[in-house]
Amino acid sequence: MTTSILPARPALRRPNRRVAAWGSPVVYLCSIVLIAICMGPVIYIILGGFRTNSQITTSPSGFPSPWVATNYLEVLASGSFWQTMGNSAVVGIATAVGVVALGLMASFVLARYEFVGNGAMYALFAAGLMFPVTVAITPLYLLVRNLGLTNTLAGVILPQIAFALPVTIIILVPFLRAIPVELEEAAAIDGASRLGFFFRMVVPLSLPGVITTGILAFVGSWNGYMLPLFILNDPNLYTLPLGVQNFSSQYSVDTARVMAFTALSTVPALVFFSIFERRIVGGLTGAIKG
Amino acid sequence: MKSRTVLTLAAIAGVTALVGCSGAQGDPAASGGEVTMTFWHNSTTGDGKAYWEDRVAAFEAANEGVTIEIQSIQNEDMDGRLQTAVNSGDMPDIFMARGGGKLADIVGAGAVRDLTDLISEDVSSDYGEGVFSAFTVEGAIYGMPVAVLPGGIFYSEDLFADAGIDGTPTTMSELDDAVGALEQSGVEPIALGGMAAWPAAHWYYFFALRECSQEVMESIASTLDFSDACWLAAGEDLAGLAATEPFNEGFLTTAAQEGAGSSAGLIANHQAGMELMGGWNVGVIGGLTPDQQPLPDLGWFPFPEVEGGAGSPSAMMGGVDGYSCANDAPTACEAFLNFIASPESQAGYAEAFDTIPASSEAQTAVEDPALEPLVAAYESADYVVVWLDTLLGQNIGNSLNTAVVELLAGNGTPQGIVDAVTTAAQRG
Amino acid sequence: MSTAAASVAPVRQGSAEPEVDAQASAPAPRGPRRGRTDWRKRAEILLLAGPAVGVFVFFVIVPVLMAAFYGFFRWNGFGAPTDFVGLQNYVTILGDSTFRDAVAHNLFIVVASLALQGPLAVLFALLLNQRIRGRSIIRVLIFVPYVISEVVVGTGWSLMLQDRGAVNDLLSSVGLDALRNSWIADPQIALWTLMVIITWKYIGFAVILMLAGLQSIPDELYEAASIDGASFWQMQRSITLPLLGPTIRIWAFLSIIGSLQLFDLVNIIWGQYVSATAGTSTMATYMYLNGHMAGSYGYGNAVAVVLFIISLAIALGYQRFVLRRDTEGALTGMAGSSTKEPRP
Repeated sequence: MTTSILPARPALRRPNRRVAAWGSPVVYLCSIVLIAICMGPVIYIILGGFRTNSQITTSPSGFPSPWVATNYLEVLASGSFWQTMGNSAVVGIATAVGVVALGLMASFVLARYEFVGNGAMYALFAAGLMFPVTVAITPLYLLVRNLGLTNTLAGVILPQIAFALPVTIIILVPFLRAIPVELEEAAAIDGASRLGFFFRMVVPLSLPGVITTGILAFVGSWNGYMLPLFILNDPNLYTLPLGVQNFSSQYSVDTARVMAFTALSTVPALVFFSIFERRIVGGLTGAIKG
Repeated sequence: MKSRTVLTLAAIAGVTALVGCSGAQGDPAASGGEVTMTFWHNSTTGDGKAYWEDRVAAFEAANEGVTIEIQSIQNEDMDGRLQTAVNSGDMPDIFMARGGGKLADIVGAGAVRDLTDLISEDVSSDYGEGVFSAFTVEGAIYGMPVAVLPGGIFYSEDLFADAGIDGTPTTMSELDDAVGALEQSGVEPIALGGMAAWPAAHWYYFFALRECSQEVMESIASTLDFSDACWLAAGEDLAGLAATEPFNEGFLTTAAQEGAGSSAGLIANHQAGMELMGGWNVGVIGGLTPDQQPLPDLGWFPFPEVEGGAGSPSAMMGGVDGYSCANDAPTACEAFLNFIASPESQAGYAEAFDTIPASSEAQTAVEDPALEPLVAAYESADYVVVWLDTLLGQNIGNSLNTAVVELLAGNGTPQGIVDAVTTAAQRG
Repeated sequence: MSTAAASVAPVRQGSAEPEVDAQASAPAPRGPRRGRTDWRKRAEILLLAGPAVGVFVFFVIVPVLMAAFYGFFRWNGFGAPTDFVGLQNYVTILGDSTFRDAVAHNLFIVVASLALQGPLAVLFALLLNQRIRGRSIIRVLIFVPYVISEVVVGTGWSLMLQDRGAVNDLLSSVGLDALRNSWIADPQIALWTLMVIITWKYIGFAVILMLAGLQSIPDELYEAASIDGASFWQMQRSITLPLLGPTIRIWAFLSIIGSLQLFDLVNIIWGQYVSATAGTSTMATYMYLNGHMAGSYGYGNAVAVVLFIISLAIALGYQRFVLRRDTEGALTGMAGSSTKEPRP
């Protein structure tokens, strides 16, 4: 690939969107099929929240009859729902920010510095992807406890940042490699150090990639269950996935309520995603250009 | 860039603030009578949760200077949390104990207090001796029971009447007849939540209870010797039952009690006639009925007699729920355990959890008609054994459960069950 | 390739070829100051990569090593492990036919995921790449399955696929009784059911990834080709697919690793016991069943290590033979990266 295209190129294309036309029917047909497949089970879950457990048992594929609003209403009305959502938001945003900050700096080093440990460092991060988290949870708990961070949100955020780093770095490294040398040379000629180049040019240029990995980290944190389960004792600190516990009694699970709860707790993550969705596509563009 | 430095400093400050936002944790007593204890139980919702809050408040009121912090943990997660607690030294002072092999493991780690001499006179005379056996490890008692959950067959009286079944089956052949009659009348004869394995394994446990003599059953945990012919006979009984196809369609992937679509849900909605389950099923079924009230026609009968079996027809098998003290808990801990074992607390427990309390005095006050036959059978049982997988410990219990599922899925044989547990026992 | 060019630039500062650059208008001075720039470079590396490496090693690598250490013991999970058994756990694992079955299932899932999702994702990305109205909404909607937590995805699908569940119920109600099946429990079908669910969950992610890759292909190439009279499909074959190569290869890498680690979906829908009889057990469910459920944590940890080694081997192989020309061999590139040829 000799044409090293500046990441800024998608921005040049953007004005074209204003004259976006209707596409051919084939495209829309295929889209509808794809969306129907994707959303089908999701709608099943959403509708499930409007039924009782008895309805689901006796008429598995039926529509709610009658429509039961108590599940959704009681979830929305319960103070713990909003509190856990707040905690999840704090943890999610902190995780995303942390992952992006640390990941971007480390990816810059891996992408553009030449040193003996380069390959080993990359291998270290990639290897972290390959070990199942569930097994490492007990030693991890011990470490967190020795730091005195049990039952704190920080005790959840820091390990989450660590576990999200491999994917972040795998995505960001090729992206940062793609930034043309000429830019770096130009910055050097202007008297900027490597660090200056990083802070002044790389950070703004990599914003799309940053947003991509930030969103992935946020979504991962939003749905994370194991880590908060083990680290948090105080119900006031619980994150949303832990809130599901409120709907299981000692021996049984209120399925319909769980469906309502999950449908509601997915909404913020979706909102977050749709706000940044355009930037994601732009972001990965850079990651791909070899 | 300066903004970056500012960001970094802000992040550090933020992290520090979050560390400061830690929740409270209990500490054992300092001198001066001020005691704080942590209490883990698994009732995350409803009446059960309210019951514990009420009991803790009453205890705190009666004992100046004692504070108890409650944490409710979902049942499935309890074992993992306890394990981490033991390994990190962060044991909760009062915690829910499951008895059997799991308790033995925690005792082995030296984390549980020996309660043998700390149980009050009143409680031991009220409870009797038998019920403590579930929490006895090497001759010492490590837990206080709060509920007994004997197993048997729950059934729908209405569906039985519709199928023309008179009374309840007392022998296996009568049970087979009942299965046939239910099938004729268009309902699933037996609901089975096979996905979790243990509901299916319970059929094997009960066949073993009927086939094996009392001596074999009560010594199996220490001998781990499965050469007695009764174990194989139990497997053959199970295979024979399964061959008549009495279970609901798709029983292998039916959940046991997880809400809608579970085997309990089938009973609650009159889609199946019978289910072999423990005493907690009353409450579970009650939550899955159309009006979320207890099922009015829910009945119960003990596991039928097996012809030629060496076990007593009145023997029962069940679980025992209880609570234990951590080894380093303050002395107020055993006071709390004796408190919740009092007849008054036990009566409240029976009502809140719709189950059978461990205290015999409180048992007489159980009013739920669905539970009365269980209490009667429990009191007249020749002997009571704990669930076989709890008795045998997790390693062997797990292999046993796996082998039973294989048998029911058509991949295993009765001999395979015996082989599996023998191998697991050797592996230790 | 710009990557090689980029790595020449840093070398110029810490120089291995002073003669070449001495006369050029190189911004960084040579000679006596070389020691200082070397230190400076190291300081920069430490400052920038240090926090990430530190956090990662502490919270990921150390627990992983500890967990791996437990694999040499027989341990019931409580207290410190005392029963050292060396490699016995590993011997048992490799000799267990149910484990080999699980590995076979995993490999099937790896291959099937690539085969099913890859072409579908590229196809849909091609269709959705056109600048049409409603593009944003469509993208959001197909990404939804990825955002929902796996636990609830499993619960929902489980309810739909049970023998008495929604799918069979629906088939009956439209008169297609004959098509009723035991989607989950039947060993002949179960693995394909699993593939359908996996594809459902991750296709959106794959499509978005491919879309991004498509964005970077210059329009001029298509314009030139269409002037030359190429048809739509010819253009895709000669322009799109080759230039989409790097994207596809990175997506495939993430997909492979994910397939090897698959646990949550199988665990919730099939449960640990039935997954073996239905033929959908994975290495991770095997680990859970024989480790956590059996109270044999030493054994479970040993399985985790085996899972790790298998993943690592596949990843290394993949890096070496497939990804090398794209990302300069992340895991094997240590040797390669120091022998650059200066590019013009």
